Amino acid sequence: MNLKSLFKKNETYLLLIVIVFSIVITTINPVFMTWENMFDLLRSSSGTAVLAIGIFVVLLSGGIDVSCTAIAICGQYIAINVLIASGVDNIAVAFLISIGVGLALGAINAVFISIFNLPTLITTLGTSSLFHGALLEWFGTKAINVGNIPDSIKVFGKMNILTFTRPDGTQYGLSVFFLILVIIVVLTWFLLKYTMIGRGIYAIGGNREAAKRCGYNIRKIQFFTYMYAGLLAGVMGVMHLSLIRYSNPNYIVGSELSVIAAVVLGGTRISGGTGTITGTLIGVALITILEKNLVLIGLSSYWQQFFIGVIIILGVTITYAQNKINERKGLRAA
Amino acid sequence: MAEVFLEAKGVSKTFVGVKALDNVDLTIGKGEIHCLIGENGSGKSTLIKVIGGVYRADSGSVKIEGRELHEHGMQTIETIRAGVQIIYQDLSLFPNLTVAENISINQMLESNQQTVNWKTIQESARKALDEIGEEIDLNERVENLSMAKKQIIAISRALTQNAKLIIMDEATSAITKEEVDHLFSIIMKLKERGISILFVSHKLSEVFEISENITILKDGKQIGVYPTSELDNDKLVYLMTGRELEYAPYIYNKKLAEETPLLSVEGLNKERQFHDINFNLQKGEILGITGLIGSGRTEVAQALFGLNKPDSGTIKMHGKAVDIKKPEDAINNGIALLPEERHGQGLFEEQSIGDNIVITILKSLLVKLGLLSQFKRKKAGDNWIEKLSIKTPTGDNPVNSLSGGNQQRVVLAKWLATEPDVFILDGPTIGIDIGSKHTIHEIIRDLAEKGMGIIMISDEIQEILDNCNRVLLMSNGRIIKEVEDSTTTTADELFDIVTRSYEEEAGA
Ligand SMILES: Nc1ncnc2c1ncn2[C@@H]1O[C@H](COP(=O)(O)OP(=O)(O)OP(=O)(O)O)[C@@H](O)[C@H]1O
Ligand SMILES: [Mg+2]
Repeated sequence: MNLKSLFKKNETYLLLIVIVFSIVITTINPVFMTWENMFDLLRSSSGTAVLAIGIFVVLLSGGIDVSCTAIAICGQYIAINVLIASGVDNIAVAFLISIGVGLALGAINAVFISIFNLPTLITTLGTSSLFHGALLEWFGTKAINVGNIPDSIKVFGKMNILTFTRPDGTQYGLSVFFLILVIIVVLTWFLLKYTMIGRGIYAIGGNREAAKRCGYNIRKIQFFTYMYAGLLAGVMGVMHLSLIRYSNPNYIVGSELSVIAAVVLGGTRISGGTGTITGTLIGVALITILEKNLVLIGLSSYWQQFFIGVIIILGVTITYAQNKINERKGLRAA
Repeated sequence: MAEVFLEAKGVSKTFVGVKALDNVDLTIGKGEIHCLIGENGSGKSTLIKVIGGVYRADSGSVKIEGRELHEHGMQTIETIRAGVQIIYQDLSLFPNLTVAENISINQMLESNQQTVNWKTIQESARKALDEIGEEIDLNERVENLSMAKKQIIAISRALTQNAKLIIMDEATSAITKEEVDHLFSIIMKLKERGISILFVSHKLSEVFEISENITILKDGKQIGVYPTSELDNDKLVYLMTGRELEYAPYIYNKKLAEETPLLSVEGLNKERQFHDINFNLQKGEILGITGLIGSGRTEVAQALFGLNKPDSGTIKMHGKAVDIKKPEDAINNGIALLPEERHGQGLFEEQSIGDNIVITILKSLLVKLGLLSQFKRKKAGDNWIEKLSIKTPTGDNPVNSLSGGNQQRVVLAKWLATEPDVFILDGPTIGIDIGSKHTIHEIIRDLAEKGMGIIMISDEIQEILDNCNRVLLMSNGRIIKEVEDSTTTTADELFDIVTRSYEEEAGA
């Protein structure tokens, strides 16, 4: 890749923003640019990144999924309840249950979207409320405290794949969550780039009618997309649980907008067909740094909402402006 | 006839309120080059979509090599696997994907592979482009390409498959004469290998050049199949339209001219595009500009409309210099442009036909309190639908229910409705059938007679000569000749001048 194409990319600019931002924060708070703080940021934002990747895939296909957060909390709360009721203390089982729930709920989205042909925003707005309501009705509204969380989950949340010792003898490290994120990134990248179904997601996002005419099986692709997003939401549910060691069936729900904002900020087009995982990850990084550090540099947390709004509008404006420019170019090229 | 490859029998298809196909038969032999022709909205694209499995016919059957298609519901992949490649009128490309992937995608899908090999994608795309002799950056996104390049890509995509039948629904409307010639030589080679072609075009010269047999559709009915050798231009036009078309040259009414010309262009320059462009336009004139693609004619038109900023020069309206930076400025100064590339351009596909037409003149439809008069709106829309004979049961239908050629008429209506002083038409009849072309020419003449100044840009020298009183010839960005009175010359003479100057430049 040459320098010129590097500067054509959205990602390059975003990364620059992240870097400038980090430098600003570091001058105010030198602790920011330490390995320890970086690892900590990674640990707490990996779950969001996993969720964002699911939403990214859905956006690519030309749809949108605002029910991901509801699916994540369903997976988490059902898994923890089943674990406690059955007395099984195993993180793998927790993941399996949560992923199973995610796949099933994703499939329900896909049924409405691909078989009944309903608009994706309306469908997922509806199912989001439906899933969450059903969860509260059937599994209760009681939060589960640290004391009742099975040990395997707590241990998993503290597990590191790299450990360092501080001068005073205490330890810090790179969380296992990072490993999960890496696996998911590589898997998603491979799926999108090297499988026909992945290319199909790009194709239906770019021109759905043409994809149909070429012979893509649209229904299959849509089922795959929404179930994959469900699966990732399931994974995120358990990651979140072992991170905060507490389960409240009203958590996670409500954060979907800032996750979508991160994805769009990362350069994924709302209209579908265009976007990269790298962009998505940088978008998540930017939103996370923003969320965590505004207070630190002395601004009230209301500013956070304000800035997210500014970023979304800026992001959308830039995309819009670029499209305009391209349109004009297209008009001239003869 | 040789062995039959495709046989469609008794195909009917009704859309709400429109019988698009009525008991249509179509037979294509192995290695035959067959043309399907008919006016806009006669059902050509619909028949092709039924063959492709995009639409399900209400009745009738499509057989390929004796085997019936779509017995178990429609499926596009079934047609593809039976060896049929279709270039749809809207091209059906993926704007977000690269040239290479767009070209190779059909091949990947047909082979039913599960994974993607990027090296093969690049290689087969390169091979396909080499075969039709084009150079396009394989890694460019298709959305950044011009209409002509997009057509080339759609054609290459169909050629990469080892298809037994290739269907081209107006795939040559935007590409140059040279490219068409090259495509035809490829088609002849394919024919030798026993591959059949179904070709749709409104350019009758192409139809006569390439086809062996012609099936004619009219209002959704098949009205005959003729060997091309038995038809000539007039006969074909008569069969298609039920009328005989005659052209009388446009005689300019000199009384309309005023002391200061309506529009004058002085010393317009833009590096690498056009140089020293000077001309005047009087009220009531139809000024033709022609030249090969790349001669700078489109660029000049865009400069007049604020889409392409010139480096120097003056544009005057009614003798007063005007500053045109963007299309709004042009519109405010009474200049309108019908752009060359207008496939779906500026149309709100899902909105009604009527609303699309009146969108440019909403202000004039306001009544008291700034409210929109629904009555006026409907009347204005219906008026244009009738004037341009746009084929639809009602103006309330969405634009995307219209046939390709009828959508083009909506774009034309939209600009005509603004009643500009100067109207620039860049390729006013691309994709429009021969009968309606005549109608559109009559409308243009009518507007000129009422005092509008018209600039008509076209590839087709004959179209220019038939309709313009004065002609400018362009080559390599310069005006190389002005013909004061178009009745004093012939199409052949002008064509010679244009090609000679082109070759001289190329040689120099
Ligand atoms: N999806 C649709 N919904 C409603 N009407 C339709 C639809 N598609 C086509 N039609 C109508 O069917 C008729 C035939 O259209 P078709 O596109 O087949 O014409 P065509 O012969 O290809 O014309 P053109 O030369 O303009 O491309 C037209 O009257 C058109 O308005
Ligand atoms: Mg058509």
